[in-house]
Amino acid sequence: MPAMTVLSAPALATAFKPADVDYSAIAPMLIVIAGALIGVLVEAFAPRRHRHVIQVSLALVSLVAAFVVLVTVSADEAHRGGTLAQAVIIDGPALFLQGAILLMAALGVLTMAEKFGGQGADAFTPMGAAVPGSPHEAAALRAGLATSEVFPLTLFSVVGMLLFPAAGDLLTMFVALEVLSLPLYLLCGLARRRRLLSQEASLKYFLLGAFSSAFFLFGAALLYGYAGSLYLADIATAVRAANGALEGLLLPGVVLVLVGLLFKVGAVPFHSWTPDVYQGAPTPVTGFMAACTKVAAFGAILRVVYVGVEANRWDWRGGVIAVAALTMVVGAVLSVTQTDVKRLLAYSSIAHAGFILVAVLAFDRTGVSGTMFYLVAYGFTTIAGFAVVSLVRQGGSEASHLSQWAGLGRNHPVVAGVFAFLLLAFAGIPLTSGFAAKYAAFAPAISFGGRSGVALVIIGVLCSVITAFVYVRLIVLMYFTEPPAGEVVVAETASPFTTVAITIGTLVTLVLGILPAQVLDLAERSSQFLVK
Amino acid sequence: MSNPYVPLLFLLAIGGGFAVFSVGAAAVSGPKRYNRAKLDAYECGIEPTPQAAGGGRVPIKYYLTAMLFIIFDIESVFLYPFAVAFNQLGLFALVEMVLFILTVFVAYAYVWRRGGLEWD
Amino acid sequence: MTGLGEQIMFWILAPISVLGALGLIFAKKAVHAALGMALVMINLGIFYIAQEADFLGIIQIFVYTGAVMMLFLFVLMLVGVDSSDSLVETLKGQKWAGALLILGLAALLFTAIGRAQFGPMKGLSSVNESTGNVSGVADLIFGKYVWTFEITSALLITAALGAMVLAHRERIGAKPSQRAWSERRILENRNVAGLPAPGVYARSNAVDTPALLPDGTPSELSVSRVLTAREQNVAPARHIESEHDIEHEIEEGSQR
Repeated sequence: MPAMTVLSAPALATAFKPADVDYSAIAPMLIVIAGALIGVLVEAFAPRRHRHVIQVSLALVSLVAAFVVLVTVSADEAHRGGTLAQAVIIDGPALFLQGAILLMAALGVLTMAEKFGGQGADAFTPMGAAVPGSPHEAAALRAGLATSEVFPLTLFSVVGMLLFPAAGDLLTMFVALEVLSLPLYLLCGLARRRRLLSQEASLKYFLLGAFSSAFFLFGAALLYGYAGSLYLADIATAVRAANGALEGLLLPGVVLVLVGLLFKVGAVPFHSWTPDVYQGAPTPVTGFMAACTKVAAFGAILRVVYVGVEANRWDWRGGVIAVAALTMVVGAVLSVTQTDVKRLLAYSSIAHAGFILVAVLAFDRTGVSGTMFYLVAYGFTTIAGFAVVSLVRQGGSEASHLSQWAGLGRNHPVVAGVFAFLLLAFAGIPLTSGFAAKYAAFAPAISFGGRSGVALVIIGVLCSVITAFVYVRLIVLMYFTEPPAGEVVVAETASPFTTVAITIGTLVTLVLGILPAQVLDLAERSSQFLVK
Repeated sequence: MSNPYVPLLFLLAIGGGFAVFSVGAAAVSGPKRYNRAKLDAYECGIEPTPQAAGGGRVPIKYYLTAMLFIIFDIESVFLYPFAVAFNQLGLFALVEMVLFILTVFVAYAYVWRRGGLEWD
Repeated sequence: MTGLGEQIMFWILAPISVLGALGLIFAKKAVHAALGMALVMINLGIFYIAQEADFLGIIQIFVYTGAVMMLFLFVLMLVGVDSSDSLVETLKGQKWAGALLILGLAALLFTAIGRAQFGPMKGLSSVNESTGNVSGVADLIFGKYVWTFEITSALLITAALGAMVLAHRERIGAKPSQRAWSERRILENRNVAGLPAPGVYARSNAVDTPALLPDGTPSELSVSRVLTAREQNVAPARHIESEHDIEHEIEEGSQR
């Protein structure tokens, strides 16, 4: 009698054993969660006119506090290893990537806080539920409404990102994936201008994201069937033991899980959402998303690939090599034809995902450190880059079409100069972080990737040349072309928030280009994955 | 011992039988004098139209309510196993559950304060 | 180990599930597709219960079929109950390419997974007896997966925030109270006694039917301005006519 067993409810056979918790190890996550929860309460109880200030400071304080705690905790080796019943594994790569995410998220929050003298954050709609262009929307703007929920949402997303690369089992990884994605879907749909484009971006991202989550879940289920456990450590043991009967579940499981993860980094052929979403989302959100999601998702890929299923890598490596090559080629070639700055940077981010995959495929500790260094270099440059894009305006709205950027260098030499420098970093020109990053990513592929590694590096260098052409063309456009007739394109005077974000992003780009040794060394020291 | 669901089956049969009997008996025994007004349905409310107002669309307010319902529905899903196994789980699980409920109630406070629960 | 009853149940419900799933894909109207999906989900719930996963089965029906399905229906109703999919392909040949790819993926997965040889089915009966179905789930939620469980609350809050941000129109300025309304009426000295109520007729009593003034003309004031703007008001003339008809018929009926 199935129904009867519920009623009688026999006791647990073995006594219930609570999970061990190393609170220091998960303290950064707890701080960010607390910040997000308080943020929601602020939305509930604080008066409207104070919300923006409270939210921005709360988000910044919790991110910085989490980073400080993270640094303190990482100094003590005792807090390494699995905690919370192995659901969270705090090791070198996890700590490094978490630190990177926290810093980049703080920069992201700074760019989101930009008001340009208005009442709420400039990039976000005063009321997401109002019909675009309706009187109701205008009334909301006049009444000084603002969607300051974006800051708690960002913090929730950061929580997911912190957990994603540290997840010890596939279930935790899946929930982390959702926690990081769900707020991003929302944030994408809240742009103040070009609302319809923004809503379309949000919908596309949501539908495709849900689709990719399904792939991840399907793969996780197959791997569970194979190993009898969701823990990456157990899956690794099962792969090494290689029992013949269930072997059919392993490869489809690995492939499907990787599809779910590669979607998040925007690797070809799972990239189709990237240009539309990057273009439609509010520009600061695009920057935050491009930088932090990539860090988190590559962290998860590294952990799955290096800890979980490394032992049968010869079965699936070919596919990922093809994906990496395709990603670089498609990203680079399609960026040539773009006419919108945000779409151009989106295709460039696709190409960069390919470059990072080259490092991942080296299957060596140096590959891990190369990946992590690349992520940091790319992330800071990207946030600063999108922050600059958000400054360039025509008639109050963003001038994202390339033709509008013509001659920007003459009127606004500093803004154009910074952007040109960031573009050079994207291209990987020496003395920028891009060069050091490309070196760090490609060197392990040559040393440990075998023939395919060398081939990938050759493709990577060729693609870098193509993208460099695109960036140089944009620089030429900014400096050596007549500005278009009509309303003048201006770079708004940024508030200290955006200025600080751009300055830090640019400085990091410069410093990592000239003196990359410190960060490279840190990445190398923290490149050892722990299994338990 | 017979199947524990047999009494339920009996109850179902008795209930169905009573309903059929009542309607049938009324149809057989009652007087029948019809006119149009008697057969007509009394319309208290806006007359139904083939196409609802606004192109057959439902206002988004319903969606909000449904969404909030689901959030608390899922919370209750976690509460049920917790309640069943409460005696064995001990203090740790109680603390975890309280934390969970508190966090979900943060959402509740937000929705309440922002007027998400008002229909107007 | 499957009993006869379970087999019979499976062979009845499985085709229904497949039909429901096909209906989900091929139904022209979105609401029909949603109902097909509800059917599949209820059947899944029954399958779970038949496989001794009582808790999962109940949750499947309770949450998925009940709540999630409702949400899904609301989404469809937002789109419009009668709107059916546009069948115009924006990319030419997309449908065939999609079908081909799906078939390819299905073939790949089936051949790959088909190679696996599963051991004998264990079932849940031993676990259900020793640990208890629901207690076993509780043990996992609060033991091994406690962090996942706690983090889920972040998802729930995000969902609440999202629903509010995207769907809730915050009121700009306070809503006038009853008192404010009546004070304004008295100050303006118009409709001091309140607006007239809508019409009450023998066969109809609705807010869309205006009341009649003493001279027999309908009163515009007695119906909502919104309904007038949408041209949804009913002219009371036909109610008055049919009233006469009915009175006549009743007289006839009593004479017979």
